[in-house]
Amino acid sequence: MGSSSVAADLTEVRAAAELLGFGLQRRSRPVEGGDYRALLDRYRSELRFRDVVDTMAEGLGLEVLGTPRSGLVLAPEPGGPFATRLTDFRAMDQAERLVFGLVLIGIAAYAYPQDVDFDDPETKLVDLVKVDEFLRSAIDTLRAQEGGEGTPEERARAAAEVYADMPQLITTQTGRRGRGCTLKAIEDALGWLVDQGAAREATSLGPDVYQLTDRFRLLVADSAGGAALDALRALRSGGPGAAA
Amino acid sequence: MTSAPVVSPAADATARARWRALTLTDPISRLVRNAAHAGIDDEAFDLRQLALAAVDLVVGSMGFAREATLDEVADDLTRLALRMRPELAHQARDVAQVVLKGLLNEAHEHRRFTYWFADLSGDQVVREPYSFRLLSLREAEYGPVLTASDQAITLFLHGLDVDIEDADRALAHVLQRQLDDRRFDAAARTAAQAERTSVGIAATLAELLDATRRDVGSHDWLVDVPDRLSAARRHVEERIAEDDRFLEHVQGGLDTETGADVRATSGRIVDLLRRVRQVHLDLEKRLVGAREVFLAAQVRQRLARRRRLRMLAVGEDVLLPTLGLPREQALEVGTAFADRALGVTVPRLVRFDDLLDQLWAPPRQRETVEPLAEDEGLDEIEEPDVQRYPPEVVAAAGEVLAVARADAAGAPLSALLDRCPDDEVAELVILTTLWAFAPDPAADSEEPDDSVELAAGLEAVDRDGAAGVLDHRLARGRDLVLRPLPAERAVTDEDERVMVGG
Repeated sequence: MGSSSVAADLTEVRAAAELLGFGLQRRSRPVEGGDYRALLDRYRSELRFRDVVDTMAEGLGLEVLGTPRSGLVLAPEPGGPFATRLTDFRAMDQAERLVFGLVLIGIAAYAYPQDVDFDDPETKLVDLVKVDEFLRSAIDTLRAQEGGEGTPEERARAAAEVYADMPQLITTQTGRRGRGCTLKAIEDALGWLVDQGAAREATSLGPDVYQLTDRFRLLVADSAGGAALDALRALRSGGPGAAA
Repeated sequence: MTSAPVVSPAADATARARWRALTLTDPISRLVRNAAHAGIDDEAFDLRQLALAAVDLVVGSMGFAREATLDEVADDLTRLALRMRPELAHQARDVAQVVLKGLLNEAHEHRRFTYWFADLSGDQVVREPYSFRLLSLREAEYGPVLTASDQAITLFLHGLDVDIEDADRALAHVLQRQLDDRRFDAAARTAAQAERTSVGIAATLAELLDATRRDVGSHDWLVDVPDRLSAARRHVEERIAEDDRFLEHVQGGLDTETGADVRATSGRIVDLLRRVRQVHLDLEKRLVGAREVFLAAQVRQRLARRRRLRMLAVGEDVLLPTLGLPREQALEVGTAFADRALGVTVPRLVRFDDLLDQLWAPPRQRETVEPLAEDEGLDEIEEPDVQRYPPEVVAAAGEVLAVARADAAGAPLSALLDRCPDDEVAELVILTTLWAFAPDPAADSEEPDDSVELAAGLEAVDRDGAAGVLDHRLARGRDLVLRPLPAERAVTDEDERVMVGG
């Protein structure tokens, strides 16, 4: 105490590394009685341990976004070893990337229109078709975004144009949704979120219902927001913010 | 209070509270109405009962370490619906979904249910909103769980004097309350439900332990099994304490009860509770044993020598048997092998803004990018590449090799090495000779070594040791003769080289 540098106990460092290890494994769950849970509780309650974990995370190029019941939520520093790169996705052309981004923003705005939603542990459910309806209703708002070549506003306009041009549904011979329709784009984006542990299929509520996890909520809450996200959230909340 | 009473002061005093109680049941009526649009006939399925059962199931699990997950409740409701109309089995799951969606207020995007109370107590009518939830979804460590709101608990336990804030003890309160209320039939049902749960856990546990004895690797001992064991232990410890308390309670009532009916029912409950208690005690014994099985398995696992790949012949012991396996098993082996063989993998995580920046990055403009690449290339040349030989070494080696070029008969490598001023030059001469002896066509396209250029127009031949023996600090063995490549063979030909070599 008193000294500005805090020396960490090696066992503490090990425990911190274990906790980060758990946080990196999407499948591990902090169930009652498990090591993960014990470490997570320690993180929540012990400031010193928290510092060790946060510092170690920083060194690894990670940041702890939060500790909901489902476990430690980590976000990568851009360019760090854990950061997702475009090459981690399936190959997408320019239009597909625009739409993918737009759909992610759309889902975020649909689920969390107001700031209070970011702190609400209530799990949000999204329905594929409703997200599509919402995005289609938002096309004009997005088209009205002002900004020069290469700005996010311009990208939002471009994304909206591509989206508006796509049909809602194309079916394949096997009766599934075919590439090139907006429902498939949303399905793909949600599927990707599922892979990320940011969403789950709520099959017990229907085929196209997904629940967004705390991870997704914290990821969106961490976002500084952009013109497109702000505009869609305002549109969705329909409140006075819509005019602003 | 200037305005006239609405009905009567006494009625008005409780009007708001009674209005709220009435409102709380409305979402269920609403879901019944909406179900008709979804093609579900209210007369075929008792949706109200299913809605009550949903709340019932959720509240019933809220006191336990593990709350009811969405899927579990949906499955239970599906089973109930199936029991209502076995011939409409195909609709059962839809029915369960409609009920759950209704309770979660899907029609209004899972927001709170909101109703407006017209407050008539003042001069002007004030519309007062009343918002509540019945069920809500939350993420727990084991998946999405349903929790019931205080209002839903109140609705479900309407008429029972229990502390609705203490949701954790809800189930215990229910049984206690049923006993207090002398609702012995209900208490018997609750007790029977507890028995079923315990028997279920006992059966799963027995299966788990048997599987473990047969094959240690059959279950995930690191996470899954200890969790299940501790969950089971918690459940049993809790139950044993409660069993005793309830037994005492019912027994106490039995001693003072005079009514024959009640005495009979109480007797049934006592029997039931004793059976439950026995199941719990057996289960506890089994759990103590389970720890031993678990620990023994762990020790065995730790002591067992890990088989390493080098102890096996990869082809015969791994590849061939794998090829002979059915697809699924082969996949398992292949995955395990690949996972180990590939070493560390780094999980990829995302950050919302960075992801969007990447996705919405403006397309790259090539014409500005390429000149930049050229500049970098120029920079590189200025700084000598540490991987390459310094120019003076290359020049010196060139001079030494010129001796071999000068004479059609060539010169032995040993003689050339004697001419080298230092080891670095000698090394390059050796490499050049080796290249001339056996060029590697693949290396051509990769990083060209200086030896490649130096070897141009030269060939090295081994005349069965005729050239003598090479004994140098850097190389030892049969001497090679380095000579100019005859003009007609300047275009290298693999076959000839083999001929020469053989």
